[in-house]
Amino acid sequence: MPLIELKNVSKIYRLGSQSVTALSELSLLFEAGEFAVLAGPSGSGKTTALNLIGCLDRPTSGQVIVSGMNLGTASSRQLADFRLQHIGFIFQSYNLIPVLTAAENAEFTLMLQKVPKKSRRERVRRLFAELGIDGLEERRPADLSGGQQQRVAIARAMAGNPQVILADEPTANLDSHTAEELLELMRRLNREQGTTFVFSSHDDRVISQARRVIRLEDGCLSDDTGADR
Amino acid sequence: MTDYLHLAWKNLWRNRRRTVITLAAIALSIMLVQALHNLSNGVYAGMVDSGVRAGSGHIAVYQKGYLESRDETLYFEDRNLVDQIAALDGVEQVLPRLYVPALAQSSRESRGVLLVGVDPGRERLINPFLKTLPEDGMVRSSDSRDAVVGSRLLEELQIKLGQKFVVTAQNLDGTLHSELLRVRGVVSTGMKDIDGSLIMVGRERAGMLSGSTGSVHEVAVILSEPGYSEAVLRRIVRLLGDHPGTEAVKWERAMPNLANAIKLDYASQKFIFLIILLIVTIGVVNTLLMSVMERMREFGVILALGSQARTLRAMILLEALVLGLLAAAIGTLLGSLATWYLVAVGIDLATFVPETLEFGGVVFDPIMRASWNPGWMARIAGYVVGLTLLAALYPAVKAGRITPVEGMRHH
Repeated sequence: MPLIELKNVSKIYRLGSQSVTALSELSLLFEAGEFAVLAGPSGSGKTTALNLIGCLDRPTSGQVIVSGMNLGTASSRQLADFRLQHIGFIFQSYNLIPVLTAAENAEFTLMLQKVPKKSRRERVRRLFAELGIDGLEERRPADLSGGQQQRVAIARAMAGNPQVILADEPTANLDSHTAEELLELMRRLNREQGTTFVFSSHDDRVISQARRVIRLEDGCLSDDTGADR
Repeated sequence: MTDYLHLAWKNLWRNRRRTVITLAAIALSIMLVQALHNLSNGVYAGMVDSGVRAGSGHIAVYQKGYLESRDETLYFEDRNLVDQIAALDGVEQVLPRLYVPALAQSSRESRGVLLVGVDPGRERLINPFLKTLPEDGMVRSSDSRDAVVGSRLLEELQIKLGQKFVVTAQNLDGTLHSELLRVRGVVSTGMKDIDGSLIMVGRERAGMLSGSTGSVHEVAVILSEPGYSEAVLRRIVRLLGDHPGTEAVKWERAMPNLANAIKLDYASQKFIFLIILLIVTIGVVNTLLMSVMERMREFGVILALGSQARTLRAMILLEALVLGLLAAAIGTLLGSLATWYLVAVGIDLATFVPETLEFGGVVFDPIMRASWNPGWMARIAGYVVGLTLLAALYPAVKAGRITPVEGMRHH
């Protein structure tokens, strides 16, 4: 059974009297352990597709099934709980909580999962060491570089052991060297821990790192170069 | 829970200046309301104390109907009641009084007066009107011809301390009876009516004049603590079983002018308190709403990470609770300091009000002093915490309604 399945998914946004089709009849399958990129220019529907896979939004038509759960029929509470237990997010602008330290940010999903403080601290300590940001635990986001902040965001996404990590343009705000390092880090986590990564990008250097490239254009699938890449 | 408290605490100090201003506004309003209330409480307590000591006592015993009609024929036999009441726990003093309307005459003038027959020893200890009398200025015994006279009446009768005058009253059988009295002391209460009509004599002498020796119109009971009134009243009512036709009432019924004046004054104060708290609540709503609106993106992220909307709402309410509790603690501390000052030093209004300003039938003390009321202070602090939570409801509901995608679109 695929981990993620999109069946004829369309998403139409209504802006006053106008309708904007962000996705049109998109069908995709993702197996567990994939390292895939949704590629395409701005406005091609990458973020919309990620939002639907991540249960952040509902399709106008079609079905989104993640880990056997049909997201279209789930309640908002069920979706929130599903995100908490199964999905990790990495955002383009990191979106760390500014008043919390790096460690507290990374612990945030574990706190929502009601994991005891001691276990949380231990898990985050190990993740920080793995991600090469040990020693920065007590720093506030404002005192970290962009690359360090994105690593903290990866630690936050990884902390809850999700089945899939969704990353929306994760390297867009980073210089090429840091972006390269970060992509390598995600690949290593994918390789060693088997975590499924689906990310979006319009940067060819980033896209070239992915094992599977799904190209979107005007909300439609234009190309899907397979998992054997 | 401690994690969320920790988060609320950190969020509270996200915009330090705004939080300090909001805290100061809430804390100062709590201080103001607590200190003003305690000041009023102290002033009212002083007025009640002065009123009950000169008037009806905390509890008064009358023949039924006397209170409403002031009919001098409605007296009752003392028959040891005064001593029985004086022996009760919580009673500081018992003042039996006989009131006799009479005509006072000097060689030059005559005036209608209210002659009060008292037990001189007991009355001297309690009645604030007699405080300024010199050591030898009080009526010496219950049957003596000594009289303490109001200063204005003394002037009107054109007599002086030590001089004699005659009082005439109607006896019970309808005949007129006169007694020769000598001015032993002069009282100046500051209240025109009292100073212009008071003649205080021994109770036996008053009884001889009115033909009702051994009787009283009023037994004023002074308590060692006003809080004992319910318990003492119950015991007095039991004692009155031996005195048919009598009733025991609290000072509020015996002195409705004073009770109503205090009630009216307190009602207007409560209205002011309400306005102060309302203004503060609007300020808190504004602060919390601003704090929520500028964090919509963050709330979107928190929801995306898997937080339930109700958890988000609870986080915002918890922030308001921490803000309210902190403000309540600081406000109560400031309120306590202000009350301490107002208890110890008070506010001297002597330059603003006349020395003999009358309020509700008693002379208003120009030095206003507060009295402690910790229960009420705690209640006000609790109300403010509740209002802060109430003020956070709308921002919390607003934050809880956004979807993760909507939230993350905010900049």
